[in-house]
Amino acid sequence: MKTQLNMDKIAKGLGAERQGRVAATGGYFGAMQLLAAIEARFRVPSGGGRPTDPAWTERRLLPLAPRTLKKLEEIAAKIREHGGANLEPMQLAALLIEKTTEKLSEEDAENLVRPKRRASR
Amino acid sequence: MVKKRRRPAGTRQRALTGGRKRVLVVLFVPSVERDGKTPVDQARWVDAALEMFGRVFGGATAYPKAKGVWRDDERGDVLVKDEPVVIHCYTTPADIQDDRSLADLGAFCRKMGREARQGEIGLVVGDEYFAIRDFGEE
Repeated sequence: MKTQLNMDKIAKGLGAERQGRVAATGGYFGAMQLLAAIEARFRVPSGGGRPTDPAWTERRLLPLAPRTLKKLEEIAAKIREHGGANLEPMQLAALLIEKTTEKLSEEDAENLVRPKRRASR
Repeated sequence: MVKKRRRPAGTRQRALTGGRKRVLVVLFVPSVERDGKTPVDQARWVDAALEMFGRVFGGATAYPKAKGVWRDDERGDVLVKDEPVVIHCYTTPADIQDDRSLADLGAFCRKMGREARQGEIGLVVGDEYFAIRDFGEE
């Protein structure tokens, strides 16, 4: 029977942050594969701080409604709780922008900015 | 007649005290400081890590150095070379969740992070990656 490890207890006991799941296997090749995966996925910027996507080189201020920020904070906290990546609310916002932008057509964008018609009686 | 297989001595005792050593703990011992240039005394840290794993969890294996390189986009695409040593330790679910063992392992990682001037010490337990970035003493 497989015993579940209490990863939160382990993180607390180590004084560590849970970063996410990896496929760890034994032996030399397992060790090398794991190292390559971790260096690619969780590499820390040389200036310190949290691991981030190396492609995110542009920085802009993003105005947000407090309720949107609250929602982002809640979702990021849930992801951390469930052992996903150690995600900050604004990293989640960046991910959402990136994913949505990839799928967004010109028409979708136009619909977003076009004033909504009020329903007439 | 089929003979009954005998359990090796101590198996039952081991099962009662936390099960088989099937949880893989992986520690990465860096070769350079956070600046990516200044070398650290890696041999010393590998020996110290093996000693700690031996004392706390009963043993470990250090693999030969891996050579790695990555482009630091935040420092003008400079190539940072690293040759980390990967240490594998198999332990029991009970031992890895034991408060004392976790405290010893955490203390070692913080000491290495502090003295070898790292941005982060990476540790894998089971199928999860943990990062230690706060190297303050207790």
